[in-house]
This record gives sequence, C-alpha cells and structure tokens, in this order.
Amino acid sequence: MPSTLVAVAVGVLLAIALLGPAFNRSSVAIVAAAAAAPDLDLVFALVDLGDPNATLHTVFVPLLAAAVLYSDTRLGGASRLADRYGLYGVRVAWVAIAALMIAGIGVDAFSSEGVALLYPLSGRYYAVVGGFLLSTQDGIVQTYVTLADGWIEVSSPGTLDTHTIPSPVTPGGDRRLRIVETGEQAVLVATAIVALAAKWLVERYDRLAEARA
Amino acid sequence: MPSSVVHAAVAAVLAVGLLGRFYDRQALAIVVAIVLVPELDTALGLVIAGAHRTVLHTMGLSAVATPLLYWETTREGSWIRGRWGARGVRIAWVCLVVHTFAHIAFDWTHLEGINLIWPAVDRFFVLEGEMYVSASEGFVQTFVDIARDPETGRGVIDAGQGGTRAETHVSNPAQPDPQPDPGPVDRRFPIAVRGWQLHLLLTGASVMAARRLQSDQFNPRGCGPNSTSDD
Repeated sequence: MPSTLVAVAVGVLLAIALLGPAFNRSSVAIVAAAAAAPDLDLVFALVDLGDPNATLHTVFVPLLAAAVLYSDTRLGGASRLADRYGLYGVRVAWVAIAALMIAGIGVDAFSSEGVALLYPLSGRYYAVVGGFLLSTQDGIVQTYVTLADGWIEVSSPGTLDTHTIPSPVTPGGDRRLRIVETGEQAVLVATAIVALAAKWLVERYDRLAEARA
Repeated sequence: MPSSVVHAAVAAVLAVGLLGRFYDRQALAIVVAIVLVPELDTALGLVIAGAHRTVLHTMGLSAVATPLLYWETTREGSWIRGRWGARGVRIAWVCLVVHTFAHIAFDWTHLEGINLIWPAVDRFFVLEGEMYVSASEGFVQTFVDIARDPETGRGVIDAGQGGTRAETHVSNPAQPDPQPDPGPVDRRFPIAVRGWQLHLLLTGASVMAARRLQSDQFNPRGCGPNSTSDD
C-alpha cells in the first residue's frame, strides 16, 4: 500500500483545489487528516478491532458521512453545522469527505495491495491495477476491469483470510515504515509541497490586492 | 511519458487550486496546452536522433524561466502585467509550476527519464528508488546511491544517470524504436498504465467536476449561495 504520506499529498492537492475561500491553515489540516484517517485501521487491527485496509477503507464510511452531511445541510430545517461554523464548515466538510474517498481510500484501492471496499458485507480485497492504451496492432487494450457474465470485475489480491497487508505497526518480522515507494510517489509528494507553498503566496497576494481595491 | 492525459489531469488539479479567482475555461485551456507542449520534441526526434525527452524535457528550461519570469513580472512596466494585468501574471506562474511538476518531474521517473539539465550537461537521469524507515536498517533511501568503488576507492554517486542524448531513445508512439523493424509497427498510445495513473486521471476529472458544482460567491464570513464538492 502506498504510504500515508502519499495519501496526505493527494489530500493536500484536493484541499488546494477545492477549499476555495475556505482555504486556511486549519481547513487544510482537517482535509489532510481526513486523507490519512483510513490508515488508522492498521493500528486498530493490532488490538483486534476490525481488519487492516478494511474497517476504515470501506466505501460505506464516506457514503455514510456524505449522507449525514447531506441530510444536515440540505434536508429539514436549520443545519447544525452551518449554524455553528457557517458555510466555511460546510465547504470544509465536503472537501474532507472527498479527500477521505479519493486520497484515503482511493490511493490504496488503485495499488496492488487493494482495499476491502465492501467490508463488512464482503471480506474480499479489490485492487484496480492494469493498463489502458490504444495500440495500432491490438486496438484498445484495457486490463483494469474484465467483463464477465454481465459483471464488471476488478482484480482481487485475496480475502481477509488469505491476504495480509504489510504494516509498520504489526510486531514481528522486519517492520518497515514506508515513506515513498517509487519515483512517481516522490514527485507527487514534492508537487503537493510546492503547490501548498504556491497557494499560500497566491492567497496572500489576493488578500493584498483586495485590501488595495 | 506517462500519457498526456495523466499530465493534463495533474495540471488540471493544480490549475483549479492555484488559478484561484482567475480560474475559468480559457485559463484552464492555456494551462493544459502548456503542459502538453514538451511532447513536441517527439516530432523533433524524427529528425534529430534523441531530441525527444531532451530538447523540451529539461529542468534547464524551468531554471532559466523562473528568474526571468520573476524579473519580468515584478519590474516597473512589466509587459505581461501591462498587457494582461494580474490575471496574465497568475496564469504565467501557474503555467511554469505545471510545466515543471505535472510534466517534467513526472517524466523524470518514467522509462529512461529525462535529459535533466540539457543543454548544460547532456545526460539522461531517471528518478527511481524508495524511501523507508525500517526496524533493522533505520532510514533508507535509494534514490541517490553513494558508494565507494572497491577498485579505485573513489566515491561513486548513482543518481540514476543513463546515457547521453545520442545514446538514449525513449520509446514513443511516433517512434517506438530508433531502428524500425521491417513488418507492422505497433504504436502504443498509453492513456493510463498502472493503478496510480488511472487514479490521478480520475482525481483530475473529479476535481474539475466538483469545481463546476462550487460557486465562487461564497466567502468565509458567509453570504451567497452554498456550494458543495460532492465526489
């Protein structure tokens, strides 16, 4: 699984892109924390609470969060979140859910170790790995998903019983806290750091321009 | 290259965030066009051996452009500012960031890499390695290997350097091989290869879709229509 740092980098990129006027130090921290949060299930698995890459890597966590947020802000009377934190709070909450889904779960789901996306309904891990290209000899080559009997299948590295997720917190063996595994991940992390610095400069410049106008 | 589609997706994410109040369709189109420009050296590669991944895939361009753009946009009577105002300045800077990171830096990690600081030094470099903290080995990084040559006793630094421009051909759809085989040529146009590329592609698409749903009017003090960034 790509390290938590990579998930945080993607989360920071999402925060920069989507927070808009709600962008500040605390909102970026909240969104980055949401991107890192799913990896806590590696820690909980140690004390036999749930399973690694499963308990918090299930699609039901962001779906539930989105349903709660939607019903609070859009259905019924006054929104508790908006009353307390205004539209700032609503924006940060939506971006945090997007980061949980795209960065926290997505980064792992598109790696070879996979996530148990439908946990606890199913204990199967899913990994979207493959390729998609156009070839002048072979036409469209697509190996991410296979179509079988009307079902769309993605590859699966195994189930809760057969597939182990290497974790830096599990005792035994050579424990390894991965920081970046490939050059691409290193570039992604560097991009997030530079983009964050650039966004600070841009925001400061915009505030100055606004004050002058 | 990781495909142009992946470059464009990363560029879109950065553009949405960094263009800020200047973000619109035109500005996005300019940024995405800029991120695709380095692939033009593929065409040059048909004429000059090894031009692909050399002429425009170099950090040298960014290294020269950064101080130049800083000087141009901060001086009295700046041409960009005079002609296009603050919007032009912002777009120019975002183009530079996107060119450097969304394109050149990602290609640095891919296949034979890029001709890193051409034309100062003609040498391909590829960024490969990993970084981890292990219980038995401590902190380990393999991007830059520093070792001592056992025969000569001199220090050797391996930062992923490869051949020169003339020796290195990076496969591309226009020229899959430097010496074409007789018979049908298989040209492959990658869209996304491996999980992470598809993930970045989908992330870029989601960010642009979410940005469309958001409104600009909302300010932190809270008036104006609400916005959501559903995913």
